[in-house]
Amino acid sequence: MPPGLDNLRHIVVLMMENRSFDHMLGSLTAVNPQIDGVTNQLSNPDTTGALVKPQALAEFQGQLDPDPDHHFPAVDLQIFGGDTSPNRVANMQGFVKSYFNQQKDVGHSQKIMYYFAQNQLPVLTTLALEFAVFNRWFASIPGPTICNRAFAHYGTSFGRVDMNLLYVNEPFKSIYDRLINATPKHTSKLYYYDTASSTMEITNLLQNQPELFGTYQQFLDDCKTGNLPDYSFVEPNYSDHDSDNGEEVASDQHPDHNVQAGELFIASVYKAIKQNANLWQSTALLVVYDEHGGIYDHVAPPACTPDQFQASPNDTGTGMPFAFDRLGVRVPAILISPWIPKGTIVNRVFDHASIPGTVTKFLLGDYSPRSPRETSADVFIEPNAAPVDPARNLLSLDTMRTDCPDFDV
Amino acid sequence: MALIHVPRPQNAWNPNRPINALLKSQIVHLHEAELKLPVMLQTGIYINAIKTESEAADYVRQVTEAIHAAHQAATAKRARSRVRRTGKVRTKKKRPSKPRRET
Repeated sequence: MPPGLDNLRHIVVLMMENRSFDHMLGSLTAVNPQIDGVTNQLSNPDTTGALVKPQALAEFQGQLDPDPDHHFPAVDLQIFGGDTSPNRVANMQGFVKSYFNQQKDVGHSQKIMYYFAQNQLPVLTTLALEFAVFNRWFASIPGPTICNRAFAHYGTSFGRVDMNLLYVNEPFKSIYDRLINATPKHTSKLYYYDTASSTMEITNLLQNQPELFGTYQQFLDDCKTGNLPDYSFVEPNYSDHDSDNGEEVASDQHPDHNVQAGELFIASVYKAIKQNANLWQSTALLVVYDEHGGIYDHVAPPACTPDQFQASPNDTGTGMPFAFDRLGVRVPAILISPWIPKGTIVNRVFDHASIPGTVTKFLLGDYSPRSPRETSADVFIEPNAAPVDPARNLLSLDTMRTDCPDFDV
Repeated sequence: MALIHVPRPQNAWNPNRPINALLKSQIVHLHEAELKLPVMLQTGIYINAIKTESEAADYVRQVTEAIHAAHQAATAKRARSRVRRTGKVRTKKKRPSKPRRET
């Protein structure tokens, strides 16, 4: 068995907010052309018909205000460029038009095409170049946060494409329920930043199973003492607020929150794991964004296995039903472990249903029931059962790396 | 590999920033949970009047802590009643056996 998988005891997922792949990692094509980011061939028309190219002019804060629309109808416009015909094809030509709808300002609407230069994001770009970056990780739904985060916890959004509360649990259990009720029992925890930031989407779990939750300080303590659960889901800080520690700056990177604060947070999670040598060799950390937040990306989302649910034309707001049979816009995703070769690029297709899918298969093996979307989603960690396909195993090194980066956080 | 410097954000903290759609939905979700709490643990905050991130954070904190408190109270109560039940059995007085009559 590959030693990376043999040693793996902990999977940690850090889910950030609302940034597209091209916006955050698009600059890396210039470093490694195999990373499918921004090129000079790309553009979007503005409302005057002029073509707007992506430019490395993104700012940490103050640029994407108002928050770009990323509800279902707006994302439909972004992906299909306004084409509503039955046989339409995704062309990713409606981002500038969509942002124009919010302020009716042509100049401002062009900012949706801006991306970060590599040196602006030393944490995210370093991790992408040092470990495994996913060229085809998509949001689960062409829609907003809540329904997309649901896929990370349940493998489905139970038919929702919006921000409404999910009344769930049957028939598809959360990944946490599956783990803590398994035989043998597994451990699992959701770490929100603090009680003033709390959890996003899974209020349902919070009000019924608060024992599943901990704070970010507890995450840091659990890393230090070697008490990290088998599976952890980490949430960033969603708001600027006061605390006993002083001023807490939102670290979720949701526009218009400061992107550098998110960089610090990502580095802090990475460092907490890396500082404990035992934990570092036995942990895989996935950094992923919940959805693109209305920001430009050039890769058309592919079709996927339909879920067993259907959203009505009224629910989608587009006049068309949605069978959960295509993915949302592409987002940044990076898998981190000292067993991953430097510069790994993954071209297989993933979405957030891959998260419970991977954790379930790795820790529990066969499990049912799971949603059709989760069952068909690819896994980013191979189940540690013979035979492991070396072409698919990302934790493939025979010996652990000793050249992994450190950040001054 | 050299230590990589991570720049710190400058002047980023703005607790008076108007809440975004995400925080609004979080507040609505927590409000639904709040309505199921015992009345004495409810905040009495009118959520439609929450406008800034600082106000949102204060509400989110109060409800999150109240949810934990409600569950902790229920757990403690359960434990107490378990002790009471167990205690009853243990402290049950034995009836003094009647002296045997010599036959």
